[in-house]
Amino acid sequence: MKLKNILIKILIPIISVIFAFIVGAILIASIGGNAEEAFTYLFKGAFGSSANLGKTLVKATPLIFTGLAATFAYRCGVFNLGAEGQFVVGALISIWVSTSVEGVSGVPLIILSLILGALAGGIWGAIPGILKITRGLNEMIVSIMLNYVAVLFMGYLYTGPLREGSVPQTEAVNDALKLGRIYEGSNVHSGFVIAIIVAAIVYYFLFYTSKGFKLRAVGLNDTASMYNGFSVKKYMLMAFIVSGAIAGIGGSVELHGMQYRLMSGFGTGYGFDGVAIALIGQLNPIGTVLVAYLFAVLRTGANTMQVGTGMPTAVIDIIQALVIVFAVAGSALVNLPNVKQLFINITSKKQEKVVQE
Amino acid sequence: MGDILNAGFIQELLLSTVRMATPILIVSLAELYSERAGLVNIGLDGIMALGALVGFLVGYTTGNPYMGILAGAVAGVFVNMIYAFCVINLCAEQIVYGMAINIFAPAVASFIYKIYFGVNSSLIQGPLMEALPIPLLSSIPILGSVLFNHTPIVYFTYLMVPVTAIFLNRTKAGLNFKAVGEFPKAAESLGIHVIRQKYIACIICGALAGIGGAYLTTCYINTYSDGVVSGRGFIALSAVIFGRWMPGGVLIAALLFGFADALQLRMQVASSDTPYQLLAMIPYLCTLFALAFFGIKKAGPKANGKPYLREER
Amino acid sequence: MKKLLSIFLTMCTLLALLTGCGASKTAETSTKDSKDSKNKTYKVAMISDTTISDGGWGAACYNAMVTAAKEKGFETQYTDGLKTADFAQSIRSYADLGYDLIFAPGNQYSDAVKEVAKDYPDVHFALLNGTIETKNIVSLLPDAKQIGQMAGALAGLMSKTNNIGFIGGMELDTTKDKLANYEAAAKAVNPNIQVASAYAGSFSDTAKGMEIANSMITSKNVDVMFGDASAVDSGARQALASHANAFDIGQPGDLVKDDKTGVIIGSVVTDNATMIKLCMDDVINGKFGNKTIYGNIENGGVSAGTFSDKVPEDIKTKYLEIVDKIKAGTFIQK
Repeated sequence: MKLKNILIKILIPIISVIFAFIVGAILIASIGGNAEEAFTYLFKGAFGSSANLGKTLVKATPLIFTGLAATFAYRCGVFNLGAEGQFVVGALISIWVSTSVEGVSGVPLIILSLILGALAGGIWGAIPGILKITRGLNEMIVSIMLNYVAVLFMGYLYTGPLREGSVPQTEAVNDALKLGRIYEGSNVHSGFVIAIIVAAIVYYFLFYTSKGFKLRAVGLNDTASMYNGFSVKKYMLMAFIVSGAIAGIGGSVELHGMQYRLMSGFGTGYGFDGVAIALIGQLNPIGTVLVAYLFAVLRTGANTMQVGTGMPTAVIDIIQALVIVFAVAGSALVNLPNVKQLFINITSKKQEKVVQE
Repeated sequence: MGDILNAGFIQELLLSTVRMATPILIVSLAELYSERAGLVNIGLDGIMALGALVGFLVGYTTGNPYMGILAGAVAGVFVNMIYAFCVINLCAEQIVYGMAINIFAPAVASFIYKIYFGVNSSLIQGPLMEALPIPLLSSIPILGSVLFNHTPIVYFTYLMVPVTAIFLNRTKAGLNFKAVGEFPKAAESLGIHVIRQKYIACIICGALAGIGGAYLTTCYINTYSDGVVSGRGFIALSAVIFGRWMPGGVLIAALLFGFADALQLRMQVASSDTPYQLLAMIPYLCTLFALAFFGIKKAGPKANGKPYLREER
Repeated sequence: MKKLLSIFLTMCTLLALLTGCGASKTAETSTKDSKDSKNKTYKVAMISDTTISDGGWGAACYNAMVTAAKEKGFETQYTDGLKTADFAQSIRSYADLGYDLIFAPGNQYSDAVKEVAKDYPDVHFALLNGTIETKNIVSLLPDAKQIGQMAGALAGLMSKTNNIGFIGGMELDTTKDKLANYEAAAKAVNPNIQVASAYAGSFSDTAKGMEIANSMITSKNVDVMFGDASAVDSGARQALASHANAFDIGQPGDLVKDDKTGVIIGSVVTDNATMIKLCMDDVINGKFGNKTIYGNIENGGVSAGTFSDKVPEDIKTKYLEIVDKIKAGTFIQK
């Protein structure tokens, strides 16, 4: 029974990807492109060489962080749509730390930077949390507004106080402060390892600790939890803070490992993708990592596909959006009582047949 | 700073406020209908983008901006039907769907624009809807030109506010509609067809959001470019909350945002030393403070955002 | 249970087949590539973070590349609407596919270009508004000061209200340069000129352009404007069109010919195509690298565009005299 459930949960993303590809192929064909060639490029781009495999992992790293952030929040029944802002705020603190702090350097400074990034993200995430528990405000709107404020503030910083010379961007992080590569010749930085570790910690916390259990209980039914004596508000706030902190580390990691400086467009899109990833990954940290990887595969592969075939980039966006549309629809479909009944009917017929024979 | 106080400046500022508030108002009304029926739709930005493109395209090919607006409404409805089906029938997560639409619809818009118009050294210009001043009223000094010298869509939008208020509060249909967002199960037991009402809400929401987008490219400016919507869909979301889910409140919210935006732009022109990003933050910070100080506990339709399953007992 | 398992296995097989097909196709296309290199078709690609149908910077750069490529026989391709995090990846993909010249139309791509150029020493990179010179990176620098001065001089000559305006997209250094020289040149022509400026914060928010222009016209009495903000400039032009005797100076293309609003009186044309052609020449004859190609009035990289009929003859003559002085560097005493 459990195995079947897991199978279904894995099948859905796969089927949605296939459906999305089919629609994408039709779209490509409709503008005179060669769909087969396009998809070849896609696979080549994501899997074709070790450099490409590395590219995909690098792309997946920030997505894992925002996905985990969303998963953690969802598990407590709250919507953290502010991952983008928290991601940026984490990076902001990190760039400031990296370029201004004297006396410490090298690996300790990186660690300090990451911790501060987590703190910053946590604080930024706490704002919607506090507003929700004290004033009952809809956390979605507050977090979206804070996203804008964070991004605009970042823009102010890199065109003003933290600007480096001639271009609107900050200084680059010192070489000593860049995250090391896992193996030579690839771009995969240790941030990926950090992401996996965070995923493991989240998994352990949610499913193997009593606090995690209580958090999930609050998420499933906050009224019942309240009657059972769990401090619902405290858990919700904790969910926001931790979720924000995870996104904040994500921002720091991205800064130290890939982008090295803040500039226009840093961190765009990771926040919302994280929410979609969390849902498609069935709110399970392991699922989140896998789905984040899937998204990264799509992005990387689609990029190569676009370059190889000359399609407008909009086609890539459409295919990605379709994956989300189909995957989320698929998960929802499967959870509908009617459909569940259908499955039970199909499988119980099998059992009857077996019994009769 | 002395030019702030002269009459011309104020008139221009008010005019600008009304102009900038219109797309926000119409999209906020769209979201209001949707949320009152219990559906949170954050894909408005995307629907507006597609409405903007379709409105522009149809306006360009037919030469008639009104056809553009109509086409924008139709496009909006189509896109929202995807959302509607998945969220109402499949009970999928509304937030994620909204976001998927936000990625999907602008991409489709960009795609169609590029295929149809290709690359040009200056933006293609479509027909611009003409302002229709209301005969007597527009001659009133200052107020006249601020309020009564606009394109018909602006009038339509502001008229929708009292229409919505009357619908929601004084008609039986409106009360049924609201019931769906508050206590769907009770509504169902009273014979109200909940699923149908939700679909109707989505149709109205899609149409209004599409019109809002088309307004941007046929009445406000007469060109389309990727990014023309600039996040107005999200501001609409906060306007609904700000306005406490009431048409009148939403009107005030939209006007406030339009005003803040218009003021912020003019302040930039007046004092080019202040970093513009700090000024640009003003509308969002205003919303936050207003929400923090004026938000009420547990406001909004009680079943807002919750999927409705007929079979659940 | 068995049924589900079989469905699952079928899916996996399908996926494997697809990937397998992919792998064999890879072998085919790579042999095709090596055949191509024998009778060399050069390929040039452009990346951009904005759309190329923006009626401004993106379109001008793309058209420049296409014009240059047609003349030199290069194949072209482009990727637009790129997110910052994807710059390096797209460039790498083009490099992997054997593109010879990669054109990056802006300083924001410097990091990405530097990173990829290191790993692909045989691929050539042209960075517009860049400041890097290496063995395989060449910077193309249209002279922002001259552009600003040319616009400022024309605005100063044509303005009847002594108030002119400037709209920037983002606060790039080139934009700041253009603004500073715009102001200096206008004041040199007419010491009573006041300049109003604002940054839209975006290269695509056309509506904002309209609002900014409107506010400049009504509250600051501006009657000539100049913009460095692509799609935002279109919005400004619309506002200008609704007021009598309000004009705009276009860039970087020659916009008067296609202008239906009658608002554009002249343009400052940046000839990116010539600079790209020079790069292409270098790629073909192997002399690429280690230099900066300047675009200025002297070499035709920057020039005055067609005037509309709203510019009277005497102003035209005066203006062209000033342009000569700008060319010689004697117009503005620094």
